[in-house]
Amino acid sequence: MITVKNLCKNYGEIKAVDNVNFCISKGEVVSLLGPNGAGKTTLMRMMTGYVDPTAGEVDIFGQDIKKHRLECLKRIGYVSETGFLYNDMSVFDFIEFCAALRGITGTKFVDNLRETLASLDLEEVVNQKIDSLSKGFKRRVGIAAAMIHKPEILILDEPTEGLDPGQKFSTRSFIREYGKNHIIIVSTHIMEEVEALSNRVILLNRGKLVKNTTPDELKTLFPENDIETAFLKITSEDR
Amino acid sequence: MFKQISPIFRREFFAYFNTGLGSIMLAVYLLLSMFAAFYLGNFFEVGNFDLFSFFYFQPYIFLIVTPALTMRLWAEERKSGSIEFILTQPVSLTAVVFAKFLAAWSFAFVMLLSTVPFWIYMNAEFALDNMNILCAYVACILMAGMFCAAGCMISSFNSSPVTAYILTLFIIWGVIGVNFSPLIRLLPADGSVLSGIMQALNFDKHFQDMVSGQVSMDNLIYYFSAVFLSLWLNVVSIEYKKG
Repeated sequence: MITVKNLCKNYGEIKAVDNVNFCISKGEVVSLLGPNGAGKTTLMRMMTGYVDPTAGEVDIFGQDIKKHRLECLKRIGYVSETGFLYNDMSVFDFIEFCAALRGITGTKFVDNLRETLASLDLEEVVNQKIDSLSKGFKRRVGIAAAMIHKPEILILDEPTEGLDPGQKFSTRSFIREYGKNHIIIVSTHIMEEVEALSNRVILLNRGKLVKNTTPDELKTLFPENDIETAFLKITSEDR
Repeated sequence: MFKQISPIFRREFFAYFNTGLGSIMLAVYLLLSMFAAFYLGNFFEVGNFDLFSFFYFQPYIFLIVTPALTMRLWAEERKSGSIEFILTQPVSLTAVVFAKFLAAWSFAFVMLLSTVPFWIYMNAEFALDNMNILCAYVACILMAGMFCAAGCMISSFNSSPVTAYILTLFIIWGVIGVNFSPLIRLLPADGSVLSGIMQALNFDKHFQDMVSGQVSMDNLIYYFSAVFLSLWLNVVSIEYKKG
C-alpha cells in the first residue's frame, strides 16, 4: 500500500506539489493525469525517493521512503520520464545489471528474465545492443528492467510513448495483467490510456489534487460523457 | 555494501572499453609516458637506475589523462538523465560514488600496469633499483587515486563533461603546481604551525618522497585524506543537487 500524506514540494516560490493526499492499494492501476507542469513527475520522483518533499511523507507499506529509502526502493520498479537506458550495453547486460543492483542473480535471475522477456515480447532482441533498438523496444526494455525483481509497486511515466498500435496493445495488456496483484501507477497524457488501463484516476492541476475517482465517474461528471472533456473542463475551472 | 558496489563498478569499468574511450586513453597515456621519458627526460643521458625520467613526468601525464577518465562519470549521468535511474535503485549514494571512483582508479591502475613491460625490459638491459621503482609505482597509484577522486567530485558539480574536464585539469594543475617549498624556506625553522601545514599540503614533497623510496605515514595520510575529502564532497554535491 502507498500512502501519500500532506505531500508538498516547493521550488522557491513555486509550489510544484501542494498538499496532496491519497492511498493506493494492491490490485489497483492508477493513472496520474494532468496538464504539463501539474506536478505529476515531481510527485512520482517523491514516491521513488529521488526528490525529498518539502513537507509531508510517502509511506510504502507503512515505511516512510525518506527514512527507509533502500528498503522501500526494493519494492518499487520505476521507469522515469526519460526512460533512460545505457545504450552501449546489450539488452541482456542491461537487465542483468539492474537485477544485480537488486541482488537478483543465478537461477532466480534466469527465471525472472525468461518470464519478463516473454510478457513484453522482447525475446528476439535480448542479445542486441540497446543503441540499435527502435523507440518502442527501448521503452519495453526499460519496463523489463524495472520489473526484473517483480516489484510490488510499478511506477511508469508515459509507458506507451513512442509505441506502435500493436506494441501499445501488448504493453497495456501486460500492465492490466500485472496490476491484478500489484500496485501500478501510470502517468499519462493519453485519455484512451486512462480508460484502457486504470481503475482509478488521480487528476492533478497546478500541484493540487483536483479529483480522485474512477474513469467511469470522471466521464459522467459532464454531459459530454468523455474523459477528455472532463479533463479539459476540470483543469480550466481550476485556473 | 560490496554487493551494491560490484555491479556499478563493473558497469563503469567495462564502459571504458565498450565506448572505446579506454583504448584511446591507454594509447595516449603510453605515448605520452614514453615520449616524456625518452625525449623530455633524456632517458639515456641521465642515470636511470630508478627510472627517474619516467616517473618525474607522471603527475603531468596524469594531469592530462585523469580528467578524461572521470569527466563523464557524473556529468554524463546528469546530462542524459540516467542519474534519476541510478538514484532510484536500492543502492546507497555512498556506494554509487565509491563504485564510480573505484572504476576510474582501476582504469588508471591498468594504465600504469601497461608500463610494467617497459620496467621488465629495462631490468634486462640495466641494473635497476627495483625496490625504489616499486615505491614509485605505489606513489603513482596513490596519486592517480587522488586525481580520480578530485575528477569525480568536479564531474558531480557539472552537467557538461567538457566543463568537467577543463575544471578537473585546472584543479589538478593547481595541486601539482602549488609548491610551498620556497615559502617554507622563508619561514622560521622552528617548526611553526604554518610551515607544518604547508609541508603537509605540498604535493611535490609527498610525491618525490615516495618516488625516491621513502614511504611514510604522512604521505599515505595525505593521499587518503585527499581521496576521502573529494568523495565526501561528491556525495554532498549529488545529495544537494537532486533536491
